[in-house]
Amino acid sequence: MKSITREGDENRSLTHNNEKCIGCGICTSICPTKSIKNGPILPIARGLVDMDYININKNSCCLCGLCASACPVDALEFKIDNRNIKEMDNYPKWDKDAKIDTEACVHCKACETACPQDAIKVARTLPKREDLVLGEIEVDQDKCINCKICEELCPGDAITVKHTGRETYETVVDEDKCVYCLVCKRACPTDAIKAVCSSCAYQDTKLDSEKFKTSGNIILNPDSCVNCGWCEEICPVDAAKVTKPFEGEVVLDEEMVCKGDSCHACQDVCPCNAVSITEGRSEIDPRFCILCGACANVCPQKGIQIKRTKMNLNNIRSKSWQNTLSGLTTGK
Amino acid sequence: MPVIIDTEKCGKIENCPGEGLCIKLCEEDALIEEDGDVVIISENCNDCELCIMNCPNQAISKVD
Repeated sequence: MKSITREGDENRSLTHNNEKCIGCGICTSICPTKSIKNGPILPIARGLVDMDYININKNSCCLCGLCASACPVDALEFKIDNRNIKEMDNYPKWDKDAKIDTEACVHCKACETACPQDAIKVARTLPKREDLVLGEIEVDQDKCINCKICEELCPGDAITVKHTGRETYETVVDEDKCVYCLVCKRACPTDAIKAVCSSCAYQDTKLDSEKFKTSGNIILNPDSCVNCGWCEEICPVDAAKVTKPFEGEVVLDEEMVCKGDSCHACQDVCPCNAVSITEGRSEIDPRFCILCGACANVCPQKGIQIKRTKMNLNNIRSKSWQNTLSGLTTGK
Repeated sequence: MPVIIDTEKCGKIENCPGEGLCIKLCEEDALIEEDGDVVIISENCNDCELCIMNCPNQAISKVD
């Protein structure tokens, strides 16, 4: 974290959080005093050099806050008298969001696996297995002849025939392992195994469907979420809803001689895991792209164009800010 | 066409701000280290231009 502060009638501070930064270069392109420079984005993303994605010149930065307002991943924080401008009425507000409906969620963890920023954690509690099993078995020790056929056949390794003395034995069923498949009952040569079915009428109380449910908590960390849309796309029950920062499209120049697997710079800098190399060419999936432009900046062939049609940033009251920010949506 | 290195701008790897960044970036083994210098293996070069774009000394270019 690097900060620039200046004190006067107001105390203003700009802080860059490199952990959140995706190196998209939006701040660099809109800074009115050209005080922000991109670092070597690709080598940083590949972990080849240990530097921050951007460098802010503290001598020329005018602490206006435009960069912090326009950053699509909130990697820049601007404060006036220790208050974040995002909480102030006079400053722009993003209409970007990612939410997971905890009521609809079935805790499948698909979003957790797919999230390229590891922003989602699903902590789930499974129902007790014994509550889900349809019955239990009992062994009539008097009829049991210690043949161990049930022990050998049991697919869940739930049966053990224990010797309790020289000629005495006991057949023990592990209720945690038994799935009530009744293989043992059918195979028992002496009919020593009795099945007690819980779904029979007199046992209905055991069929409490509330007990069958998986419960859990879903934690979506807004600090690392980039609103890429993976969770929304992958959720099988439509529990995730994402509003992206920009609308528009990313266009790959068809004439471009993409070097695919030997370059893959676009893939390495993409914060959204939206890029794949298919048949030697870069392919960007619009479902996951947030139109940040990081890929376009690192492509040596200059073959990627970001065409933003709308920026979901509202309440831009300053005319000059409106002008500068409109540059982001009219193409670059 | 493969790339060329301006040896004056490049200097020795030990003086490179990226500590031989071009070598680390090139996945085609077209740039290798030899006696502390960057050497081009032309036949391996795939013209991806990552090295040109990322050289901190702007020492790499294309043959005209």
